[in-house]
Amino acid sequence: MDDMKDVWQKQAAENATVSLEEVRRKAGRFRATIFWRNVREYSVLGLLTAWFGLYAWRSPFPVMRVGNGLTVAGLLYAGYQLHKRASAAAAPADLARKTCLHFHRAQLERQRDALRGVWRWYLGPMIPGLAVIAVAAGIAGFERSWSAGLAVVLFAVAGAMLYVGLGRLNQGAARRLQGQIEALDAIEKEPK
Amino acid sequence: MEETESIAARSAGQEELYRGAAAAFGASLGRLARAYEADAGARRDLLQEIHLALWRSFESFDARCSLRTWVYRVAHNAASSHVGRQRRRRAVMLESLEDLEAMPDRGEACAPDERQALDRLLALIQQLKPLDREVILSYLEGMDAASTAEITGISAGNVANKIHRIEQILARRFHEGEPHG
Repeated sequence: MDDMKDVWQKQAAENATVSLEEVRRKAGRFRATIFWRNVREYSVLGLLTAWFGLYAWRSPFPVMRVGNGLTVAGLLYAGYQLHKRASAAAAPADLARKTCLHFHRAQLERQRDALRGVWRWYLGPMIPGLAVIAVAAGIAGFERSWSAGLAVVLFAVAGAMLYVGLGRLNQGAARRLQGQIEALDAIEKEPK
Repeated sequence: MEETESIAARSAGQEELYRGAAAAFGASLGRLARAYEADAGARRDLLQEIHLALWRSFESFDARCSLRTWVYRVAHNAASSHVGRQRRRRAVMLESLEDLEAMPDRGEACAPDERQALDRLLALIQQLKPLDREVILSYLEGMDAASTAEITGISAGNVANKIHRIEQILARRFHEGEPHG
């Protein structure tokens, strides 16, 4: 099999050098990418918070104000969790201190935990606020007419089904990742 | 003042380590990037990503392992993160060595010229799961089972077993049908 090693090692080098200046430029671009990604994510969160916050402040119905206020609290909590998870990214030296097996396992674990806990940190915190808004909108709808009330109920049921579907998709993905983690554990446990 | 001097000294050490590693392992890192990314544009980006990760990692190099182990761990871990991101984006399925071994050949087993052999070898490596990819690359770079075990974290016995499989797969795919004598 040495001839395959020869073929591999003698392959024509394809512009393989990277200068220190290029690395520094890449570091700058990397920081800029992270900065703009954060701007994007926090802007969406800020806009949603402003939208629900405005309704919490301006709505003439007290129940609606409570629902919107709870949604703002849920959004802020999800934002805090997003920030916490983004800051917990691997330190540069982790890439070298962890063997490939441990690094790969840690990455899978991080993804699995994010997916598994999606109800706790992302979908769940919005439920109280959205549920109160749905109830308030339903009451207002039925006060106006049966058809308006029914439309709100159907809309709320569709939203709840979408929510449950999203949760199930995430749990399924988390289970698949758990399978991969167990396969890596089995490799690690094999005799030396 | 002392703190500024210490930061400057650390930064100079980081640069020196990086330059040394890039000079010693640059060609090998280029081959590694090629094994992880088929698209030429994305490959240049991946190579820069590997070098950036290496440069940043030397900020806290502690010499608890050899420079070679450090460089290869950084390179493989940075590259497999890249593959993970691409996989989520492109929904690519990866295979294990065991899967490849069980797959029937598609009538490709003949003695190809060097260029074809390299292309087919790259195609084969690019469909492997991360750990198997790390083992086959270490093997092709000429490392022994113990060094590969230190980089990957798989036991030396298991690495030897995987290398045996790799040799069988390569023999089957690249040498069957080759004229003897």
